Amino acid sequence: MRFYADLHIHSHFSRATSKNLDLEHLYLWAQYKGIHVVGTGDCVHPGWMKELEEKLEPAEEGFFKLKDKFAKSMDAQVPPACRANVRFVLTVEISNIYKRLDKVRKVHNLIWFPSFEAAKKVQDKLEAIGNIKSDGRPILGLDSRDLLEITVEANKDNIFVPAHIWTPWFSALGSMGGFDRMEDCFADLTCHVFAVETGLSSDPLMNWRLKQLDPFILVSNSDAHSPPKLGREANIFNTEFSYRGILNALKDPKDKGLVGTLEFFPEEGKYHYDGHRVCQTRLHPKETMAHKGLCPVCGKPVTVGVMARVEALADRPEGEKSPRWRPYTSLVPLPELIAEAKDVGPSSKQVQETLMNMLAKLGSEFHILMDAPVDTIKRSAGDIVAEGIARMRQGKVTIVAGYDGEFGTIKIFSDKERQRIDRQLALF
Amino acid sequence: MKKPQDLNDAQWQAVTHDGGHLLIVAGPGTGKTHTLTYRIARLTAHLADDQRVLAVTFTNKAADQMKERLEQKGLPTGKAGVDAGKFWAGTFHRFCAQLLRQQAQHTDLPDNFQIALPQQITALAKDIWPDKTMAQRQAALESISLIKSTRLALDPDADFRTYHRFLRGKGLIDFDDILREALILLENNGEAADATRRQYPFVCVDEYQDINIVQNALLKILSRDGVVLTAIGDPDQSIYGFRGSEVKLFHRFTDDFPGGTRLYLNENYRSAPNLLQASGQVIGQGGKQDNFQLVAQIHSEGRLVVHEAATDRSEAEYIAHEIEKMVGGLSLLSNFVRRHGHVPRTFGDMAVLYRLNAQKICLIQALEHLGIPYQASPTAGQAGQALRPGSGQADDAVLRAAEETLDYNVEKVSLLTLHAAKGLEFPVVFITGCEEHLLPLDIEGMTGDRQEERRLFYVGMTRAKEFLFLTRAERRQLFGKGMFNGPSPFLADIEEELKAYEAGRRKKVKPALAPDQQMKLF
Ligand SMILES: [Zn+2]
Ligand SMILES: [Zn+2]
Repeated sequence: MRFYADLHIHSHFSRATSKNLDLEHLYLWAQYKGIHVVGTGDCVHPGWMKELEEKLEPAEEGFFKLKDKFAKSMDAQVPPACRANVRFVLTVEISNIYKRLDKVRKVHNLIWFPSFEAAKKVQDKLEAIGNIKSDGRPILGLDSRDLLEITVEANKDNIFVPAHIWTPWFSALGSMGGFDRMEDCFADLTCHVFAVETGLSSDPLMNWRLKQLDPFILVSNSDAHSPPKLGREANIFNTEFSYRGILNALKDPKDKGLVGTLEFFPEEGKYHYDGHRVCQTRLHPKETMAHKGLCPVCGKPVTVGVMARVEALADRPEGEKSPRWRPYTSLVPLPELIAEAKDVGPSSKQVQETLMNMLAKLGSEFHILMDAPVDTIKRSAGDIVAEGIARMRQGKVTIVAGYDGEFGTIKIFSDKERQRIDRQLALF
Repeated sequence: MKKPQDLNDAQWQAVTHDGGHLLIVAGPGTGKTHTLTYRIARLTAHLADDQRVLAVTFTNKAADQMKERLEQKGLPTGKAGVDAGKFWAGTFHRFCAQLLRQQAQHTDLPDNFQIALPQQITALAKDIWPDKTMAQRQAALESISLIKSTRLALDPDADFRTYHRFLRGKGLIDFDDILREALILLENNGEAADATRRQYPFVCVDEYQDINIVQNALLKILSRDGVVLTAIGDPDQSIYGFRGSEVKLFHRFTDDFPGGTRLYLNENYRSAPNLLQASGQVIGQGGKQDNFQLVAQIHSEGRLVVHEAATDRSEAEYIAHEIEKMVGGLSLLSNFVRRHGHVPRTFGDMAVLYRLNAQKICLIQALEHLGIPYQASPTAGQAGQALRPGSGQADDAVLRAAEETLDYNVEKVSLLTLHAAKGLEFPVVFITGCEEHLLPLDIEGMTGDRQEERRLFYVGMTRAKEFLFLTRAERRQLFGKGMFNGPSPFLADIEEELKAYEAGRRKKVKPALAPDQQMKLF
């Protein structure tokens, strides 16, 4: 069966997440988005674990579903066009902060579990090592390699995925807190890693440029800190609808179960270019080089973004594919797209209304962005939104690239174009 | 043997000294353990097959470290504290317990005596003195312990006799007994003493400034008849007077051990020069025990920050926030690397020190709030229980099992009493509660010797390599009582130029109403 999975999210027990990041709202927003399998996030946090045990029940092998009595409270909010089964997988992200090879390393790692039992085993280990109660994404002074050892020793079906591997500050290959080689990070246990997460600021095309990533399959997830951010990136599977199906698709190089990924335009990510947010210096890596790596405003080293970092480590020409490559589709989240088309703020009431109207009439966001015929969209959302979606599908978007923690901004229409399309609309 | 690269001239002189007993006066960060290890390794060359160097350390942990370093130098050993190989490393208690076990037939001790842990004694005190209050029992125990560790000739009072009879009736001996009974054994049994001296022709003692009169007497017996004693320590770091150690024994070394020599290590390889200067000024104001100056071998400047908080809670929040900054931010939301302009640190690089264990409650709350990993020293005993006795491998196993063991090397911020920080070093050190009544300690029922308190503060300061934060709170809750404290007088002993005053994060204050809005209210 073909299904979409987003396996890196957080709960309301993580810092800086929205209060309604609970199972009910995940269930609701997964349907809005068109996601079939959602990670629980934060599953070693005792408080969240308790909620998970209370509200979930087993479904397909390794998958869990929201119990009917909790799902019911949300069902009225789901338009019939979006209704679908939602499954959960037990997942967690750990923040490893430690010293290795004489440098401070900050690496985020994801662990996915086949069962509560497996998750609890790792929870027990981590509880003995550090504090897992303060944050849904616990900070541990533990080496990534040792976390990997704990993970694979606890259960052979646990899946360990280095998170958003290019983020400058908190990742395996990041420019500021990471390593130059995956082997430096995971040492003798590197062979137990079979998938890596690309993160929002890089797409598969960029990752294919590193031969050292050839053994790994690329996965994409949203890292959502609020329900509406679900599915910013996601994985497309076509395999057995179970944890086992996902595991095999990632682990077995011959398995074709992962058929592709949905991606952010990498320029839109927070760390694509280099620069300093406080100094408002956004630099293309070439400009950074011209400035010798220093910020032209404050004179201190800039935060090196993902584009430059990939270039620095790349050993394969652009365009060539890695052996485990999968096709991918670059998307702009629908609310942003509506906002750009209507030239209003993405959290404005107008955008919310249009979005909800479209979800009711057309179906889930993924369906709208990828599959719905443009003419149909036109009828429910108007010309300009339909045109925006059409252009996005053709990759005709301009993006002012993100840098040093600042998201990039999407441009699909010039003001002139907007006026022209509006005028055409007025003619009818 | 040629002088190795990693020894300076003074250290080399100490390593190669051949002229009888030796006292090495070694300031903080001067390579004490490094030098002692070299010396022990060198001494082992003079041993017969059945002989060993006896290395007495202050804690089991220090013994483990010593053992590890000696093994790196290619010296065989069994477990630390176990008689094997070319040396024996362990605490006084461990050594004496082993001696008593081996020579049990020559002592008055019960067969198969058991060593009572302090917490066990506290529990038994109820049965020993059923009519006493808890405070009275505690006072009696403290008094007995102090008498046992500060006097050679006992003049037992009623409490003492009741206690003693009770313990022996149960086949128990306490920590202090271990040393006293070993002393009695060696004094009364010439054969046992001779055999011990034959077995250990070299005796090395670490932290000599913290020995008590009983340990001193033991060393006098062990170091007779050609045995060479090497003692190392720093009188400026003598901090266990309240438990019966006597720094005057340090100064008496050449009287106690005739023909003894003193050597000085004063090149400091630990602390930034400005930090060293500051700690020198603190110890220079009266507490200094020996007239020699440390010379900084580190040349990059460190940073000494004084922070004054309104409350103990805001003091703790400040520290947690500074730790976050030191790590360079804990999440994408907080990156401080550029602003701070220094290389990031990990949690294991940092220690938060305090005078009393009760101070750590606020600190733990603040660290937990930010999710910062930490480990706190145990609450038992005012100074943390440094001594753990063992007798025989079975005892060792039990005692070691009680220790926290981790499979993985996990980095955490250390929360320690100033006493427990002795012998450790960290790139970043926070000393909290730099307040009158806490440093020096002077609160109801707990008053420290002023000079010893100064040395304790000095010990804390000299743990820091690069960053030293001295923090205080104007208002503090301690033992359920509120207190208002001025700054510790020790702070004033550091000249102003060396101190940077740093304000904490100001709480957002609600903006005052604009004038026109104020008008509307009327
Ligand atoms: Zn992350
Ligand atoms: Zn700048």
